[in-house]
Amino acid sequence: MPVPSPFHPRTSALCTSLFWKDWAGYHAVRSYDTTIDREYFSIRHAAGLIDVTPLYKYEVYGPDAGALLSLVMVKEVRKLKVGRVTYLCWCDDDGKVADDGTVSRLEEDYYRVTAAEPALAWLTRHAARFRVTIEDSSTRLAALSLQGPTSRDILRRVSDAPLDKLRYFGVTRARLEGAQVWISRTGYTGDLGYEVWMERDDALPVYDAIMAAGRDYRIEPLGLDAMDVSRVEAGYIMNGVDYFSAHHCLIESRKSTPFEINLGRTVDLERDPFIGQAALKAEAARGSTWKLVGLVYDWDEYEALFARFGLPPQVPSGAWRTPVPVYDATGHQAGMATSGAWSATLKQNLALAHVHAPYGAAGTRLRIEVTAEYQRHQVTATVTELPFFNPERKRA
Amino acid sequence: MARAAPQSSTYDAIVIGAGHNGLTCATWLAKAGRRVLVVESRDRVGGMAASEEFHPGYRSVGLLHDTTGVRLEVVRALELARHGLKVRSCRPSILVLGDGSGGGPRLLLSGVPAQAAREISRLSSLDGEAYLKYRAFLDRIGPVLRGFLDEPPVNLIDIESAGIWNLMKRALRVRRLGAKEMMELMRLPPMSVADWLGEWFETDLLKAALALDAVAGTWMGPRSPTSNMLLLMHEAAAGPGIEGGGPALAAALEKAARAAGVEILTEARVERILVDGAASPVKGVALSGGAVVSATVVAASCDPKQVLLKLLAPGTIPYRLEHRMEGFRARGTTAQVLLAVKGPVRFAGATDDQVEFARTGGSLVEIERAFDAVKYRRASQTPILDIHVPTVSRPELAPTGGSVVSILVHFAPYDLEGGWDDLQRRALGDRVVAILETQAPGVTAGIVRGEVLSPADIETRYGVTGGQIHHGEHALDQILIRPAPECVGYRTPVPGLYLCGGGSHPGGGLTCQPGTLAARAILKS
Amino acid sequence: MSQAARPARSSYDAVVVGGGHNGLVCAAYLAKAGRKVLVLERRHVLGGAAVSEELHPGFTFSVCSYVVSLMRPHIIRELDLPRHGMELIPLEASFLPLPDGRSLCRWADKERTRREIETFSKKDAEVYPEFGLAMTRLARFAKHVIDQPAPDPASLDPRELARLLRLGRALQGFDAEARYLNFQLMTMSAVDFLDRWFESPVLKSPMSVSGIIGTFLGVRSPGTAYVLLHHYMGEIDGAFRAWGFSKGGTGGVSRAIASAARGFGAEILTSTPVSRVLLEGGRAAGVVLENGDEIRSKVVVSGLDPHRTFLKLVGERNLDPEFVVQIRRYKMRGSSGKVNIALDRLPEFKCRPGDGLHLQGDIAICPSIDYLERAHDDAKYGDFSRRPYINAVIPSISDPSVAPPGKHILSCFVQYAPYQIKEGPSHWPQRREAFGEAVIDTLEEYIPNLRSLILFKQVLTPWDLEQEFGLTEGNIFHGELSLEQLLFLRPAAGWARYRTPVRRLWLAASGAHPGGGIMGSPGELAAKTMLTEGEI
Repeated sequence: MPVPSPFHPRTSALCTSLFWKDWAGYHAVRSYDTTIDREYFSIRHAAGLIDVTPLYKYEVYGPDAGALLSLVMVKEVRKLKVGRVTYLCWCDDDGKVADDGTVSRLEEDYYRVTAAEPALAWLTRHAARFRVTIEDSSTRLAALSLQGPTSRDILRRVSDAPLDKLRYFGVTRARLEGAQVWISRTGYTGDLGYEVWMERDDALPVYDAIMAAGRDYRIEPLGLDAMDVSRVEAGYIMNGVDYFSAHHCLIESRKSTPFEINLGRTVDLERDPFIGQAALKAEAARGSTWKLVGLVYDWDEYEALFARFGLPPQVPSGAWRTPVPVYDATGHQAGMATSGAWSATLKQNLALAHVHAPYGAAGTRLRIEVTAEYQRHQVTATVTELPFFNPERKRA
Repeated sequence: MARAAPQSSTYDAIVIGAGHNGLTCATWLAKAGRRVLVVESRDRVGGMAASEEFHPGYRSVGLLHDTTGVRLEVVRALELARHGLKVRSCRPSILVLGDGSGGGPRLLLSGVPAQAAREISRLSSLDGEAYLKYRAFLDRIGPVLRGFLDEPPVNLIDIESAGIWNLMKRALRVRRLGAKEMMELMRLPPMSVADWLGEWFETDLLKAALALDAVAGTWMGPRSPTSNMLLLMHEAAAGPGIEGGGPALAAALEKAARAAGVEILTEARVERILVDGAASPVKGVALSGGAVVSATVVAASCDPKQVLLKLLAPGTIPYRLEHRMEGFRARGTTAQVLLAVKGPVRFAGATDDQVEFARTGGSLVEIERAFDAVKYRRASQTPILDIHVPTVSRPELAPTGGSVVSILVHFAPYDLEGGWDDLQRRALGDRVVAILETQAPGVTAGIVRGEVLSPADIETRYGVTGGQIHHGEHALDQILIRPAPECVGYRTPVPGLYLCGGGSHPGGGLTCQPGTLAARAILKS
Repeated sequence: MSQAARPARSSYDAVVVGGGHNGLVCAAYLAKAGRKVLVLERRHVLGGAAVSEELHPGFTFSVCSYVVSLMRPHIIRELDLPRHGMELIPLEASFLPLPDGRSLCRWADKERTRREIETFSKKDAEVYPEFGLAMTRLARFAKHVIDQPAPDPASLDPRELARLLRLGRALQGFDAEARYLNFQLMTMSAVDFLDRWFESPVLKSPMSVSGIIGTFLGVRSPGTAYVLLHHYMGEIDGAFRAWGFSKGGTGGVSRAIASAARGFGAEILTSTPVSRVLLEGGRAAGVVLENGDEIRSKVVVSGLDPHRTFLKLVGERNLDPEFVVQIRRYKMRGSSGKVNIALDRLPEFKCRPGDGLHLQGDIAICPSIDYLERAHDDAKYGDFSRRPYINAVIPSISDPSVAPPGKHILSCFVQYAPYQIKEGPSHWPQRREAFGEAVIDTLEEYIPNLRSLILFKQVLTPWDLEQEFGLTEGNIFHGELSLEQLLFLRPAAGWARYRTPVRRLWLAASGAHPGGGIMGSPGELAAKTMLTEGEI
């Protein structure tokens, strides 16, 4: 029984497909149309506007806010400058990832955490010895993500934010249609894009202003399915799909460490104690057993497989997330692909996969399972560096 | 105040806290050739066994009355007799006063079973007989239980770690009791002390007198399941006790420690135990005022919540353990009332004024009702009093002819609704004195000074979290795995950091046992 | 059923005394194995405490036991009970009304539950699924324990050691964290255990009560935590939402088992009270009915509680005095009563008006832990709780067959009502009305007009449970489920394997491992033990 988000009056009017899903207890549009193409291309060619209110948000204030977050997170967040955002993850004692998200340093002693799952209990559990106040702002704040090459131009028309100075992973306070908002240059699409954070009462005016300003820039309301394709292209993993929170795993083997899911770059190992440090240090010394990699299907083989049945190659219409096994040349299971998509931009069939470390080198040729005409087959898939798609405008 | 400084900046081992367990541990280590520094935040050694002058000329025997748990093996091994310790010839007799009215029956529960049985027979001949059988049963299972108390703990969630021989040895000891008594031994610990004593006896007064030892200091009433385990532990460990009580024990331990070469630094508070980061070994301690003392071994005799949650920097130990220690129950339920009395204390019905130990509580129901209050964060309206008049055997504790009366009051919650203030303290003190007056008429007129220590005051004075006199509640789960699986066997996840106080196996009270077993664990590694 | 019914034969392989659900399960398994079985029930209906009766025209009450929770799925499969008419309707929710107008409802829908809990504590809402996950893991261990006869640590038989070892290995299969949790569950009180997870008393209170149902313990009594697992047992059996109503009332379960037993050839007689076990040379040779008739059998199986079985059916003088001591000190201590009400229409809760799905679950009156403790305190000193814990259900919403259209049944389990009231148990009939009024008064704090809806009311005190259903001291579990009366100590050390000191007399009821509740396990395990050990 999901509840509506503050943008529901607008999104529900636009959602002609009636195609919804439950995202963290909210009604969320999967796609406004019955196909996702228009929305997907808006991300890559114009701009798409998506309601990301269901993200969990926490405001951490106080002189020890940075110390607390640096204890809980794998990254030393006190190194973050005011006005900067960082992407990271947090682990349990055993160095197994609980969730990934962002930390923004909004003021000297004021941070904001975004997460895919609730994290209030987790943060407060460690806060007893710190001078901090933690506020769950998940419902107080509404959030929009505006993604695509024209997003900057659109925001420039409606806000006073210094967008030319706002670098990739920067955050700034701004006024937008009379509302006080935060604008961060972040997103989940791997493109130029921004996220706008506002009080929930300001949700509709802000939404209307952006949509109105975007009309000349081909703005489209964007659903989750199209964004899902773009995040696969960008090589972004998803909690609950590409890995599972250590808090919710019934068995140990389901858990992952940051190094195993391509988040090793977010870990600052040598510093004051943080949760999972000992285990992660040991793993860094020992080497990881798993690796998360990109896979690109061999298109010729793929096409030939379907041709055998007299069929044209069938590519998924959106991103998929039903795991499929991946094998090495000798038929041993090398791992599993956890999500994937047909990239209409790259004209490639892509997957994100967990493989045993020896198979992790770029260029390694593996075999991925493909079901064609109710039969299971394998086609070659090559290990590829992530992201698959990384346009310059993302950082420019 | 000129603060003393340690003679050196580096030691083999630093022991935090000069309570009886800290001193015991330090002495063992020093005897094994280690250079040991004991740091104590108070101005005196002894911890809860230290004497307090609470009124000019009137000195207490510390917080804890009961010295029968002190292990005589330790007394012998540390040659405490050479340092002035005298062991009593038998368990002290206790005058059981009955309910608050003062008019009911009384019972002199002698430390000599046959004598006690004769006294009990006056109330019930059945119980007199049963008492001897009860004692005989305890004597039979005593060695098995003492085995549990006197040996290092087995980590119950990782049993193999104890080693197969060790386990077989222990299992065999239980089996030797025979199948019937072995099963009985498994049946008893989960029971309530009320149920078990009910199987033996019919006299309320006797049951109440025996049950108090099980629930004193705990967050349980006699009807609480598993309270019987605490009775069994208490009875199994009970020896004759120490003449002169806690202060005499502390004095002998201090002398033994110094004789072994231990350096003791008082008025030195440890601010932090120094560790370089997760999974790194201990480096020493930082004292308030900034002094740093190095050592590769730090043994903390303060309660485990303080050690693991306050003295270590965040992130040093796994959060799971931190979380467990936050959940480690340490809710004090005992208050102390100290009375300076002009003249002797004579209990009604007693033939003389030579009663040193007495207790109230006429029935299990009375104790249970006294306990009920703490569930609702209130102090008992009719508390149960565990009364000790140390001046009977040590008149020097008071000016000539005067008496010191030390009363442990059950039950008074640490987290009293509205908090402890002077008004609340006074109200509790008045209730206690009123009950005492019914039992020892005329005593009130002789009181020259009374001091009430609530659990909150006990926390402040003795530095025990929650004012919990056992360094963490005695309860089935917290006794069998004490204080947490990671710390069973006195170790902690920080290499070189050990726990050596009552928060570790086999628990609180004056026993010298955690200090001894911790020292053994330290010397082994 | 006619009074004149007589057994078809004069001798059987097994005579089962008591047609409660365990006796019936045992009979069904024995008959399934080809044995000639006779079940004798004193009352006119089968089921014992798992019984449905039309107490008021048109209203069929589950007189005693009112929800089916733990019936072992393999028993349902092996006896093919659905084919014999057993149907379970799952409960929708757990509803906790509060006197201050707030309320908490926990649903099968996890997000919905999270939002409900969030109004009391966001942290708890977050931890709640983690708790469920941890419990689900541990429930696997509980399954090892309840689906097998209790291990016997005193035995030197290698098979016993192997059994202990297997149990140990099941535990070793868990990581240290899970083992510690398991340890805590076995040693802590429900409240202490929940305190380590949750902060809101509004959540902890209704969760903790599962630890005390049917016992004379409080939610803060050590040893009550392990029952929390029972709520997660359904998950490991692959039967989500295992808690439910039996269609037609709880008696439907008994009728289905009886039908299965008859299908296997068992003979079942009601209104046939047994006066004693027939002893010959120290062994059971059959039973003597109250009318004096003797029925001979190879074994006698008791479906009664241990006190009744040994002190009444066998008789003290036929037993070893030491065993008598063991049985006498086996604590029965009934602590609960039942109030069954027929209602003119659906009741409406002040805090959550309307006829929503929240009424189709179990409704717990236990607004705080202190409330539960006070209820326990009243009972400790020999009185029923002035404000008791009530677990109420309205089965007529989910199962319209039990009440006339538009009318409803409110079935209230009430605790504490100690058998031993200070006036003495036999004074219960004089206090029955006051007890019933205390329950209605309590409910009216949540359902203001309840009294005006009542068409009929039945109040069952522990005394009534003893008199009417033969439950000694009114104990619904045939003996307190406290740690010292579980596993190899149930009902007595050395006699936890369904055998008794009287040869050829077996105990197959809740007074044996694994204990009470409509599980069927004691009956099943007793039958299987008898068969494998070649007793019949």
